[in-house]
Amino acid sequence: MLSVLRLCAPARTPVCVLTGCSRAASGSVKDKQPLKKAKTPQGRLDSPEEESRAALQKFPDDVNPVTKEKGGPRGPEPTRYGDWERKGRCYDF
Amino acid sequence: MASVRAASRLLSKRILSKTKAVPAAVQGSRDFHFSIYGKKTSAKVSDDISTQYPVVDHEFDAVVVGAGGAGLRAAFGLSEAGFNTACITKLFPTRSHTVAAQGGINAALGNMEEDDWRWHFYDTVKGSDWLGDQDAIHYMTEQAPAAVVELENFGMPFSRTEEGKIYQRAFGGQSLKYGKGGQAHRCCCVADRTGHSLLHTLYGRSLRYDTSYFVEYFALDLLMENGECKGVIALCMEDGSIHRFRAKNTVIATGGYGRTYFSCTSAHTSTGDGNAMVTRAGLPCQDLEFVQFHPTGIYGAGCLITEGCRGEGGILVNSEGERFMERYAPNAKDLASRDVVSRSMTIEIREGRGVGPEKDHVYLQLTHLPPQQLATRLPGISETAMIFAGVDVTKDPIPVLPTVHYNMGGIPTNYRGQVITYTEGSDKVVPGLYACGESACASVHGANRLGANSLLDLVVFGRACALTIAEENKPGEKLSPLAPSAGEESVANLDKLRYANGSLRTSEIRLNMQKTMQAHAAVFRTGSVLKEGCEKMDAVYQTLADIKTFDRGIVWNTDLVESLELQNLMLNGVQTINSAEQRKESRGAHAREDFKDRLDEYDYSKPLTGQEKKPFEQHWRKHTMSTVDVKTGKVSLVYRPVIDTSLDEQECAHVPPAIRSY
Repeated sequence: MLSVLRLCAPARTPVCVLTGCSRAASGSVKDKQPLKKAKTPQGRLDSPEEESRAALQKFPDDVNPVTKEKGGPRGPEPTRYGDWERKGRCYDF
Repeated sequence: MASVRAASRLLSKRILSKTKAVPAAVQGSRDFHFSIYGKKTSAKVSDDISTQYPVVDHEFDAVVVGAGGAGLRAAFGLSEAGFNTACITKLFPTRSHTVAAQGGINAALGNMEEDDWRWHFYDTVKGSDWLGDQDAIHYMTEQAPAAVVELENFGMPFSRTEEGKIYQRAFGGQSLKYGKGGQAHRCCCVADRTGHSLLHTLYGRSLRYDTSYFVEYFALDLLMENGECKGVIALCMEDGSIHRFRAKNTVIATGGYGRTYFSCTSAHTSTGDGNAMVTRAGLPCQDLEFVQFHPTGIYGAGCLITEGCRGEGGILVNSEGERFMERYAPNAKDLASRDVVSRSMTIEIREGRGVGPEKDHVYLQLTHLPPQQLATRLPGISETAMIFAGVDVTKDPIPVLPTVHYNMGGIPTNYRGQVITYTEGSDKVVPGLYACGESACASVHGANRLGANSLLDLVVFGRACALTIAEENKPGEKLSPLAPSAGEESVANLDKLRYANGSLRTSEIRLNMQKTMQAHAAVFRTGSVLKEGCEKMDAVYQTLADIKTFDRGIVWNTDLVESLELQNLMLNGVQTINSAEQRKESRGAHAREDFKDRLDEYDYSKPLTGQEKKPFEQHWRKHTMSTVDVKTGKVSLVYRPVIDTSLDEQECAHVPPAIRSY
């Protein structure tokens, strides 16, 4: 059984070699340029999203340094204006 | 032909015991056998009500309609107690609107400071403007700590303090020592996605029990016989078959009806199906005029902008570029209370100074604030404004208008979750029918809901329904006989809508209704505006007869389902506006310009000695019970007294009414 498989395996690779596989083997896939995102609404909004995500970074160890809350909401305290705010949106009041 | 192939393709996914080709829906259904996950069920095909649609009859011990927070809790509570339960939902359980609730859940756990659930009880009664039933509020606040601990035991990852206890923050008008001890910290949360986590936790937990889920089944009507609820009839959206679920106990947990208004935070699926089913069964709905608004919701999207924007210096501007809040609240200006801001915005729009092509909203301007300050104080707001309003917040103002967020009213229940009617001066339980969640009105929120109380309402009353059913029934009880023609009218209505060929599309009628409600039954309420609104809503209701649908198919007919939802929305809308027109006082979320004060049985702003108690007909501290004649659209109103005693006066004294001031 196993010998059959061993025979088959090398026989298969030349037939079904994908360009990706051979490139991975040779290491040149890293040099390949990443696909450019089309200017869909998602593509357009990518940069602003990344900037604001920086503002809502995770606390070190997920512990809020001021309140010592573990696993709480990221960013400034949601209830600081009297309603539950996140990213400028109000979710509860 | 395509429909036959589609139907057989879909049905073959289920484990069929007989592998016969399934005939097309119109050809009859004698050989159609429905099997749920290979389990032996009592599903039987019947020809009793229709030969055009395949009708399948099921028998269960209990049926839950709706799979949001309350529905799931009720469903697996019943399964846990050993009942053969079916959960019918038009959405996949984790897509219910509960998932959007990001605020926390209140409970007097006492982790941050010493706390007592009686103080939570007091805060909730006060928040409801003394329209809440104090026995239901007692039940909810007393059960709150146990409910939160139970959720935590199910695996809900609450945020923690350093010691490992659940972290609680200050939110939602909570105080200590009956309002005299300062701010209370009662709100428990899961990072910023409490509702999402709650729903997923409950769904995961419910999979341990063998509840039968009927996902993407649209519940059409209740099967009522002699004033008793004997089950539900539903449409399977996937293949167009009709299913009658016979059960001794039916729990309704279908959520709110925000979509009656033009601007709301609710999902498109919040169409008040449960309220409408109950109305069509001839039962009343309670307190529908109490709708909670938020002043600054983004136009078109419905997403709310935080009050922090105004707190940081943002201003509301009309079409003339004027900071109009200076006229309405000279001292507080844009930082006035929410209802004052909402009313001012609405008055500006009514007087023609709104912005946009239809002049139906105003602008929230943040362009004068330094961008750096905005980014540090309100991180993420530029992203929000770009995604939902398409504006760059540093260059353009955000279009906003008052937006519906929550419906305090709904199906009237007692504190145990049983649906009640009010006849001959007392509450009478409707046998076999229960309700919980936003669709029910227990009533814990009264005239105004406090923040973070609604998630608590879901789990406590979902569990209460399950407990009540378990107390009064045994699993496997024989069902009482049901007339073979039960549900005929629902199928006839469905058929009529499917082949409707009037002149107005569903979307046009819906937009008319939404605009009418937004203009007349929103925040600014006064006699003439409400009366005009009632007449307009009546006219829109009559146009339902002229509806036109386009999709004649039966498989995944969203045109048909949206038209059914429109019928449900319309019933909710007419009751809301008529109840608001009749209530001649201002209480909680229902604020009228012509009757600015609360009208209770005594004038609580003065000492009670020497005051004469007003008779029931002359004061307004009472619940509105509304019914609709579905054929004509005429609304009838009856009033029911508020329950002022708690469940146990020794343990928790009731709170006598007083003037509500914060």
